[in-house]
Amino acid sequence: MNKKTIGYIVLVVVLFLVALLRPYAFFYGLQRGSLYGLVALPLALILGIVGLLNLAHGEFLTLSLYLTYVLFNKFGVDPAVSSLLTFPILFVFGLLVYKLVIERSLKSHHLNLLLLTFGVSIVMVESFNILWTSRPRNIYTPYATTSIKVFGIHVGAYEFVYTLLAFLVLAGLLVFLKRTRLGQATYAVGQNPKGAALVGINVKLVYAFVFGLSAALVALAGSFLSVRSSIFPQAGGPFTMKSFSLTAMAGLGNLFGIVLAGIVLAIAEEVVKSIPDYAGWADLVFFAVLIIAIVVRAFGRREG
Amino acid sequence: MRYIFIPAICVLCFVLPFFIDAYLVHVFTSIMIFLSLSLSWDMMLRTGQLSFGIAGFFGLGAYASIIAVDDFSVHPMLSIFVAAVFAALVAFTLGWIVLRLREIYFAITTLALSSVFMIFARNLSDLTGGSAGKVLYESIFGGDPIKTYWLVLSVTLAVVLLSEIFQRSRIRFAINSIRDDEIAAKCSGVNIFKYLLFVFVLTSAIQGAVGALYAQQYAFVEPESTFSANFLLLPMSMALVGGIYSTIGPIIGALALGLASEYLKLLMPYGHLIIYGLILIVTILFLPRGVYGTITEKMAKKR
Repeated sequence: MNKKTIGYIVLVVVLFLVALLRPYAFFYGLQRGSLYGLVALPLALILGIVGLLNLAHGEFLTLSLYLTYVLFNKFGVDPAVSSLLTFPILFVFGLLVYKLVIERSLKSHHLNLLLLTFGVSIVMVESFNILWTSRPRNIYTPYATTSIKVFGIHVGAYEFVYTLLAFLVLAGLLVFLKRTRLGQATYAVGQNPKGAALVGINVKLVYAFVFGLSAALVALAGSFLSVRSSIFPQAGGPFTMKSFSLTAMAGLGNLFGIVLAGIVLAIAEEVVKSIPDYAGWADLVFFAVLIIAIVVRAFGRREG
Repeated sequence: MRYIFIPAICVLCFVLPFFIDAYLVHVFTSIMIFLSLSLSWDMMLRTGQLSFGIAGFFGLGAYASIIAVDDFSVHPMLSIFVAAVFAALVAFTLGWIVLRLREIYFAITTLALSSVFMIFARNLSDLTGGSAGKVLYESIFGGDPIKTYWLVLSVTLAVVLLSEIFQRSRIRFAINSIRDDEIAAKCSGVNIFKYLLFVFVLTSAIQGAVGALYAQQYAFVEPESTFSANFLLLPMSMALVGGIYSTIGPIIGALALGLASEYLKLLMPYGHLIIYGLILIVTILFLPRGVYGTITEKMAKKR
């Protein structure tokens, strides 16, 4: 048995124990964690292929939330249906952001790129503030609040849609990267952009496409999240750091690991939340993991 | 010329409150607070490390100072010193770990650390007052705006002086060599880690002291507003607009953006920060050297 198998077995045992001792934490964690994984996948895609950490990632999610809100309020489009509309809209938006802002300074220092996406994030948050003010908004649909009984406890049924979506998107991405021509080109660019350019792959086109695709995938998450979350300008913000934590923890190329890490960390978060008087410390889980993962990797790299 | 000009400006700064109204005194006080943060961020950047931790150390200092005054009856003036030392100690401890990281990893870790500080401030209720924050009985000097202005001005001038000493001393050559090529610097016998740690501790102490000044001015700390992204965003934009890697750049940037932001606040109460985001983007795309950098570049070409 290698190390990896033992790791997975330990993980399964721990998760089983959590499910036994704190079933609520387990199920809420599973649902919430799938959502984290779902949002983190596109961030990992940009980070892995373009080599850019998009600090405006969470704001794409917020944009999708507001779009869903507008579609629901003005046109009566059901949030689940509106994902069909937000998906292409955010795709185009992602392309625009890439063309207007990112592409111009791809060659410069990556600290500049980091600052640029930070700037994009501020512009987006403040635009939401101007357009919709900071008042939180909500979408009410009856199906979002139904609950089911699992192993003797009541949990929300709707949130399992995140778990479903996360694995669908994961499978979709894997198939896309391995089986399609564009996907293989994308993969090649991620491995070695110069080499890819030499064999005739249009690297800039791939970058633009990846950026658009990531925004569109976030839109999907946003539309489904809209019924279960308050919608306010900073709503997406925490997701950027959480997504980055997951990517740092699982490693860039490991898409399945990102979803798994999301679920594990969210369960850990829920366990902390379930301890009386210590609920406020739950936010620390992701930051602690992020810092530990980065530091351990940095030290490992130095020695290796 | 320079020996007359600089002292003259300093004297002018000190007597300025006698000629302007209370509102402007307040505006200049907050501009100087942001100016000091901006310079401290730039000093760290000169080593090639992009820090997102300004707001974190600013908040640490603010909390340390309020707690020192409230719980330990330290004199408010002394509490600013306490805050600087506290921030420096935290930076020294964390520096051993985070300064081994480079570039994007350092940036993200410092951003995460700021959030961790905020979570501590929110949850250690007995000490920090939790999410409600902590209020002092009275702000520093009984709220006298002119004395506060002088205090902030003194700290700001000290920071400007530090930045200049830093720019002219041997440390700068070591720092520049790290920024330009770390491996070459290492080979020439520069102890990179020592210098990075020194700059990190120094800039964090400045940020802590400035946080204390800010907290004492308002006699109030609260997790959301004390660790607000404003204290990260504004100083960064100021340095970028004015021109990084210099002392004059952040000063120009702070004055320009500080005055502009006061005006914008009146103009659009909601979302005036959008201008900062746009400035950040436009500056990086079209004016990567900032106002001061571009001017000096043009002057050098003319010669």
